[in-house]
Amino acid sequence: MANISLQHLDKIYDNKVQAVFDFNLEVKDGEFIVLVGPSGCGKSTTLRMIAGLEDISAGTLLLDGKDITSAPAKDRDMAMVFQNYALYGHMTVYENMAFSLTLRKEDPNVIHKKVLAAAEILDLTDQLNKKPKQLSGGQRQRVAMGRAIVRNPKVFLFDEPLSNLDAKLRGATRREILLLHKRMNATMLYVTHDQTEALTLADRIVCMSMGHVQQVGTPLELYDTPANLFVASFIGLPPMNFFNVRVEEKQLVSTYFKQPLTEDESKLLQPYQGKEIVLGVRPEDIVTGGEVDVQVFSNENLGMNTLVHGRLCGANTQDAQITCKLRGWCDYKAGDCVNVAFVKKHFFDKETTNAIR
Amino acid sequence: MMPISMEEQKAIQLDRMRYTKNTFSSRLTYLAILFDVFYFVSIFESDVGTWYYSWLIGISIVYNLVFMLVAFLASEGVKSYKTGYGYMLLGLGVGQIVRIFILPLMAHTAMTKRSDPVLKKVVEIPVMEDAQFALVIVFLCLSAACCLAAGVVAVIRSRKLAAYNASLSEKAV
Repeated sequence: MANISLQHLDKIYDNKVQAVFDFNLEVKDGEFIVLVGPSGCGKSTTLRMIAGLEDISAGTLLLDGKDITSAPAKDRDMAMVFQNYALYGHMTVYENMAFSLTLRKEDPNVIHKKVLAAAEILDLTDQLNKKPKQLSGGQRQRVAMGRAIVRNPKVFLFDEPLSNLDAKLRGATRREILLLHKRMNATMLYVTHDQTEALTLADRIVCMSMGHVQQVGTPLELYDTPANLFVASFIGLPPMNFFNVRVEEKQLVSTYFKQPLTEDESKLLQPYQGKEIVLGVRPEDIVTGGEVDVQVFSNENLGMNTLVHGRLCGANTQDAQITCKLRGWCDYKAGDCVNVAFVKKHFFDKETTNAIR
Repeated sequence: MMPISMEEQKAIQLDRMRYTKNTFSSRLTYLAILFDVFYFVSIFESDVGTWYYSWLIGISIVYNLVFMLVAFLASEGVKSYKTGYGYMLLGLGVGQIVRIFILPLMAHTAMTKRSDPVLKKVVEIPVMEDAQFALVIVFLCLSAACCLAAGVVAVIRSRKLAAYNASLSEKAV
């Protein structure tokens, strides 16, 4: 069992800079939580506070109901995997994996069994006699994970473990982490700035910005119903398109287009009649054949889809730029005009930036 | 984790050798080098330098350097269960015992003349006195014992590991 409860956690450094503001989260046993956000948003600091590598300035941290706010890192029964692997270069893979248990003075035979079991899980059995420098980046990261596995901790903490790997290896290692979680059913907290990792790995995602939690939810919730403009812009690749529009009767009016509203949308936007809001449309929710005219800048064929970058016809400002992810292979040229329609719309309050629901 | 039976423990110990170094033999070899250094430093506490300042002293110094070098090499070799280095350590151990009968024993049995400032006459004394002789013998014996023990353990373990690896290869085939 490993339930973690983070209650009103704050992190204020000695120079009075506050990195984390009122962080609240309940992590259930066996859950895979991903903390995602841009660089400097406080996600790694939060993870380090959980690991005991940073002092908690305010708030309470509970592990299975036990207060571990001030407990030293070694007594927290958590294992952390770092971005830079933190392996001992002079030790073999076997020795690296066995090291923490050797320090605990565990029976060498038991250590051996644990190391072999972890190596089997991570497909490292043939690499046990090698030194880290003889391994690829992915293998090194697997050794770092193996070192965490042999400890059989209550909680696994990953601090951007895939950031040093190339794209192909990152995908493979990501799948391995997912398999590892399914196999061990352990509680895992994972920090990344890569939304693909967050969406593919997480049971729940914690999206952070400037030290504040913006939204906590399943990957689908964050993608489908973003809580505010930040989450909407951060989750999704290519990012969501935003347009300033005015709500008028049963339609949205922009300088460059008009969009009719459905019955439900009209009801939802009733309080905003005559006011300006932000309309968000994901590139993949745009299809050809509609009332919005787009002047094409460039065309990126991805095989299954085509990314069309352009701007709304008649506009010459930055806010009228648009990216469409159209189905199939399209051969538009710069200057072409394409008619598109918005299949799904997201509405945001212009002042609070919160989603209108 | 389930408790491990004795039989399983033996199997695990054997399997562990595939991934762990033979640090026991290696450390014993370091100890042998240390005792050899003690021997070599303490031998010149006696009058041996002035008594027998000849090619024998030179050979003794050179052999000592060679011993330390070869022993260090062997200590690294036995770490990774190389049988040849085990035999090399056995040879070095025997060599340390043989050394007792060369310089120390010769120095112990030989007499040298020295002027006594109290008696104001020349007296004859042993080049290496009993206590000194006993000390160097102890150091050489300890060094030899360490080399021999390290060699024996290394040979036994490396043979066991070679047999185990062979059996694994057979199974794989």
